[in-house]
Amino acid sequence: MSRFTSATRRQGTARRPLGLSRRVRDNLRAYLFVSPWIISLLVFTAYPVFASFYFSLTKYTVLNPPEWVGLNNFRTMFTKDPLYWKSVWNTLYYAVLSVPLGLAVALGLAMLLNQRSWGIGIYRTAFYLPSLMPAVASTLLWIVLLDPQLGLVNAGLTLVRLPRLGWLQSAAWAMPGLILMSVWSGSGPPMLIFLAGLKDIPQSLIDAAMIDGANSWQRFRHVVLPLLTPTIFFNLIISIIASFQVFAVAFVASTGGSGSAGPLNALLVYMLLLYRSAFNYFEMGYASAMALTMFVVLVLITLLLVRSSSYWVYYQAGRRR
Amino acid sequence: MGTKETEQNALSRRDFIRLTGIGSGAALLAACGAAPATPPSAASTAGTGAAAAPPQKTTEISWWNGYSTNTVKQVTPLMIAEFQKLYPGVTVKYELTGGPPGGGDFQEKLLASIASGNPPDTATVFSTPAEFAARGSLQAIDQEMSTAKWAKPDAFFSNPLKSCQFQGKTYGLPSSAGAGGIFLNVEKFKAKGISTKREDFPKTWDELKRLSAEFLVKDGDTIKEVGFVPWTSLDWLPHVWSGLNGGKLFDATTGKYVLATDSNVEWLNFWVTWLDEQGGGDIEKFNLAGKWGDTYPDHAFQQKKQAMAQGGSWEATDSEIPFEWECVKFPVGPSGSKSVTGFWPNWWVVPKGSPHPQEAFEFIEYISTKGWEIWFQGIMDTPAWKAFPADILTKKLVAKVGVARAKDVNQFFAQYLNDSVEMWNSPVESFADNTIKDMIDQVLHKKQKPKEALQAAQTVLQAKVDEVIPKS
Repeated sequence: MSRFTSATRRQGTARRPLGLSRRVRDNLRAYLFVSPWIISLLVFTAYPVFASFYFSLTKYTVLNPPEWVGLNNFRTMFTKDPLYWKSVWNTLYYAVLSVPLGLAVALGLAMLLNQRSWGIGIYRTAFYLPSLMPAVASTLLWIVLLDPQLGLVNAGLTLVRLPRLGWLQSAAWAMPGLILMSVWSGSGPPMLIFLAGLKDIPQSLIDAAMIDGANSWQRFRHVVLPLLTPTIFFNLIISIIASFQVFAVAFVASTGGSGSAGPLNALLVYMLLLYRSAFNYFEMGYASAMALTMFVVLVLITLLLVRSSSYWVYYQAGRRR
Repeated sequence: MGTKETEQNALSRRDFIRLTGIGSGAALLAACGAAPATPPSAASTAGTGAAAAPPQKTTEISWWNGYSTNTVKQVTPLMIAEFQKLYPGVTVKYELTGGPPGGGDFQEKLLASIASGNPPDTATVFSTPAEFAARGSLQAIDQEMSTAKWAKPDAFFSNPLKSCQFQGKTYGLPSSAGAGGIFLNVEKFKAKGISTKREDFPKTWDELKRLSAEFLVKDGDTIKEVGFVPWTSLDWLPHVWSGLNGGKLFDATTGKYVLATDSNVEWLNFWVTWLDEQGGGDIEKFNLAGKWGDTYPDHAFQQKKQAMAQGGSWEATDSEIPFEWECVKFPVGPSGSKSVTGFWPNWWVVPKGSPHPQEAFEFIEYISTKGWEIWFQGIMDTPAWKAFPADILTKKLVAKVGVARAKDVNQFFAQYLNDSVEMWNSPVESFADNTIKDMIDQVLHKKQKPKEALQAAQTVLQAKVDEVIPKS
C-alpha cells in the first residue's frame, strides 16, 4: 500500500506549502488572478484620485512641484472666482433640463420600439446610432444645424413662421441648444435599458389590467411605470452623474475651449472651467479642488437618490426595498 | 503503484493554474517596474544658456506642432529638408499632435511631457512663451542668440520679440508676426464712388464710423449689410484698439494690468455708441443678422454683406478672397496719436529638459529666419525677422494679383509692424485673453458699463498676475 493515499492526505498528514491552510492558499490564488485588475485599479484610478485630493490643497502648475496652500483653492473657488458660480449655475441648468427630458425621450422611444413589427430591429438600430457618433463629430454637426444664418433648424423655424433664434450665439438659447444636442446623442443607451426593462414586465399583468377595463394610459400609469421604476432609478443616477460631468459637447460648441464659452459664458459648464483651469491657466491645484468638490456633490446626490428609492422604487418581489 | 507515483509527480491542474497565475503576476509587475528609457544627456537646465556638446553626426531632434492646415502640411517637410541640408548632422522628426478645431490636446501633452522630464527638443506653441516661461517650462536662449548666425536679438521686430521675453530673458523666437490691418471690398467702394487709396482712408475713428454708415443697408429693422464691425477678432485686436486710443492693456515692465484708464473707457464707449447707431443696439440681434467677422469664406465680408473687415496679413492668402481688395491702416482714436497695429506670431521654443538644446536652437533659429522664406511662399504670415528678403513673395498672392501688387501688400504689412503695440507678453496671457473677451462681451451685452467692466477685469487680472509672480 502506498504511503500516499488520499485517505492519508485527508487526515492532514501531507506536507502543506508555506504552512498555510488550504483555504488561505485558495484565497491567495484568487487574489493572484485578480491582481492585474487590482494593480491597474490602484495605479490608474485610486492613485490619481488620491493625488488629486492632495493637489487640491496645493498650488500646482504641473511644471513645478506642488506648494502647500491648505484650503486656499477652495476659498478662491467659493468666494473669489465669479466664473465658478457661473459654471455651477450653467451645469445645474443643463442637468435639471437635460436629465428629465433625456429620460422622457428615451422612455418614449423605448415604448415605441417595444413592438413586434416588421423591421423593428432597423428602427432600434437607427435610434441608437446617434449615441455611437463621437461627441466631437456630433457637436460639429449640430453647430452647422444650429447656425443662426444658414442652419436647418432656423430654416425650419422660419418655415413655420417662428422667429429665428441665435442658438449658440445667444446667451438665452445657447444652453437649450446644448441640451438639444445632448438629448439627441445621449438617448440611445437609456433607451436600450428601458427597452430591457419593458421586456421584463410580465405581459400577464398588462393583460389583466386590460381585462379589468384599464385604458392604455391607465395601464402605463398603474402597471408599466411602477414596474419600470428600478430601471428609471438606474437611468436617473447614471444620467445625473453624466450631466454634471458634461464636457466634450460644451468644449467643442464653445469654439473649441478657447475664448468665451458662448455669449456671456452661457456654455461655461463646470468641467469646462475645470479643464481650462488645469490646462490653459496652469492651475492644476485649483482644478483638483473643483474635481474634489464635484466628487463630493455627486456622492451626496447619489446617496440621496438611493435613500429616496425606498419610497418610489418598486421591485417585482412585491415590496419596496 | 508506479502509475500513482507518476500521477503524483506530474503537474496537477491546480499547480499548473497556480504557476500560470504567479508567472502572469510577475510579468505584470516586471512591466510596471521597468525604468523608462532615459533621454540622452541634456546640455543645460533652465536658462543657463551653457554651450552644449558639439552636435553629433546623427542627432535626431523632435519637433512638436499642434495645428496644421493643408498648406502648413505642405511646407513643413520642405523647411525640414532645407534645414537638414544646412545641418547634415541633424535630422528633424516632425510630430503633429492635435489639430483643428481648437488645437486638440497639444498643450496638455506638451505640459505633461515637460513635467515628466521627457519633452520634445522643440515645439511650436500657440500661447505666448512668456506664459510658459513664467512657470519655468522653457529654456532661455539669450546665450545662443548672442552667437547666432541670423537670430541675434536685434534681428527681430522689437515687440514680436518681446512677446517671447519674461523678466528680461528670451524664451523663444517669433517666426511670424502676422500684422493686422483693415481689408476693403474695392468693388463696394467703387460702387459708392469712394476712393480705396490708402492715403484717402479715414484717419480717425469718427471718420471710420461715418464711412461705415455709408454702407449700412436695412430692411425695416433688419440689418442686411454693414460697413465695418469693430468688435471682431477679439482674440488679439483689443490690444490694438486700446493702443489706437493711446492706451494699453498690460505693462510688462511693471507687471501691471492697466485696463481701467480713461482712454480704455473712451474706447469701449465708442464701441457701444457704434452698436447703438449702426447695430440696432442689441448685440445678439445684430449677430443674428450676419456672420460679422474677418475675411474668411463663411463670414459676411466674403459674402459681400460687409464692406470692410479687420484681420491679419495671413488672410491675404489664407482667406482666398474672391474679389478685389485693398488693405489699409487702422484709424486713430480721439486720445490716440498714431496708427498702430497688432501681430499674431507662431512661437518656437526649446522646452526645459530638451534633450538636444543646441540643435533645437539651431532649428528654431533657422525656422524663424531663413526657413521662413519657404513658409512665406505658401502663407503670407509677415515675418518677424527684419532681414527677411523683400523680394520673397507668397506664390498664391503673386498668382492672384501679380508681382507688383504682391510686393506692395507685403511691404505694407512689413512696414506697419514697426508701429505694433506690445502684446502677448503677459504671464497669464490665456486667462487674460478670456477675461478681456468676457469683459467686452459684458459691455456689448450692456450688462456692465465700460468703466465698471474694465475695473472688474483689471482687479481679477492683477490678482492672477500677483499669484504667478509674487511680490518680493
